[in-house]
Amino acid sequence: MAAASSTSAAFRAASSSVKLLTSSSPTAQNILSFKPFSNPLISNNFRLTANSAATCRSFTCKSQSTPSDSTPTKVQELNVYEINERDRGSPAFLKLSQKDVNSLGDLIPFTNKIYSGCLQKRLGITAGICILIKHEPEKKGDRYEAIFSFYFGGYGHIAVQGPYLTYEDTYLAVTGGSGIFEGAYGQVKLQQLVFPFKLFYTFYLKGIPDLPSELLGPPVTPSPAVEPSAAAKACEAGATVSNFTN
Amino acid sequence: MASTSSLKPVSSLKLFNLESLSNIESHYDKLAFKLSNPLLTKSVQISTTHQAFSARRPSKDASTKAFFFNIGKPKPEPTKVQELYVYEINERDRGSPAYLRLSKKDANSLGDLVPFSNKLYTGDLQKRLGITSGLCVLIKHVPEKKGDRYEAIYSFYFGDYGHISVQGPYLTYEDTHLAVTAGSGVFEGVQGVVKLQQIVFPFKLFYTFYLKGIKDLPAELVVKPVVPTATAEPSAAAKATEPQATIPNFTD
Repeated sequence: MAAASSTSAAFRAASSSVKLLTSSSPTAQNILSFKPFSNPLISNNFRLTANSAATCRSFTCKSQSTPSDSTPTKVQELNVYEINERDRGSPAFLKLSQKDVNSLGDLIPFTNKIYSGCLQKRLGITAGICILIKHEPEKKGDRYEAIFSFYFGGYGHIAVQGPYLTYEDTYLAVTGGSGIFEGAYGQVKLQQLVFPFKLFYTFYLKGIPDLPSELLGPPVTPSPAVEPSAAAKACEAGATVSNFTN
Repeated sequence: MASTSSLKPVSSLKLFNLESLSNIESHYDKLAFKLSNPLLTKSVQISTTHQAFSARRPSKDASTKAFFFNIGKPKPEPTKVQELYVYEINERDRGSPAYLRLSKKDANSLGDLVPFSNKLYTGDLQKRLGITSGLCVLIKHVPEKKGDRYEAIYSFYFGDYGHISVQGPYLTYEDTHLAVTAGSGVFEGVQGVVKLQQIVFPFKLFYTFYLKGIKDLPAELVVKPVVPTATAEPSAAAKATEPQATIPNFTD
């Protein structure tokens, strides 16, 4: 456990410092600036960021302990677990391609529950649609274009769009938000833990005021066995955010 | 293209009709107009004052420049919020909405998709602007509210002025705030939220955009809105798209 959390901490530190080098947007620059990093996980991930719609403007350091609204490039990390508890009729796999194998034309509306990174609080839901783009037989998986939102109850929502590959982690673009996330931009890393029931997200958010402490805090290290606390699953008072979305 | 003008509050009411007519008959025989979630409204107000320097999202075509290398281009003040009001009206002449009951269940269920397209008018209901177009993904039926939750992904088209894309919740039983995700033309680089109010479910909706990161909106779009009521109607000239009652190359 200690080794795992130090790895995740190291990963987070590395990804933060990687952001220091992410200046203007050109794709080539992004890849070049990450060459010194030997962590293959990061190189893989940032290859995928070349596809993300969000562009990084940071040429200054990442978040310092300054007031949120004075540093335009301050990046805030937010961790969220998405869990399909199979009680929302989700996903609805619409095989509109009418072919035996997954093909362009298939659409998958979905909605799952989301919990805080520490798995102690129920936040709300995800809601949106995955558009199947192509089946990848050699990877034994599929490529989807995902357009969906994360709902955080009274706090508002975050809208995202980007690639969902059932066989590897991806980065999606944060396209906007409402409530405390109004004006949000940046990207979110999607990690599958148990396909397709458990996913772990790391948001890298810019352009918003400091997030409330209720949403922050060290996350439970992602693994297939993680489970929300019993209180959060039961949506007991104190184990949810205010007006959690359901 | 667009003349700049000083910011004036613009309000217009548009109703956004998503449900198919058959659903209207079966579920909704009363106005579904409720006040928006006060918590969200407050948040919107608070966040606009706190965002002193929200970094403006650069346009997709221009290369991203560092903060102080933005030479030449007049930079819109990052925190200035411009309000834009529009009415969305379903005049039942566009084949919209197309309720695709793909869940194959009797009640509205996850799997149902609702592509739609309605007409857009200025807040004072004097000019035809264009259309909305997009998709509503039904997420869940909410029996205790006698309504549904949708995830709505669509755009507002303003003729030659460009378009605004939005994404967010559409609840047939209460007002919501959607995220403004992007824009083109005069709306290029836009950020913000839009408040959706249903006036006559599901035919008339009123939207209040809170837009940041763009230059002053053209005067033609910034008008004093007609207060949203069930009987608000576009002017006859606007409905007939007479030249003086439309914006240039209004979208149709």
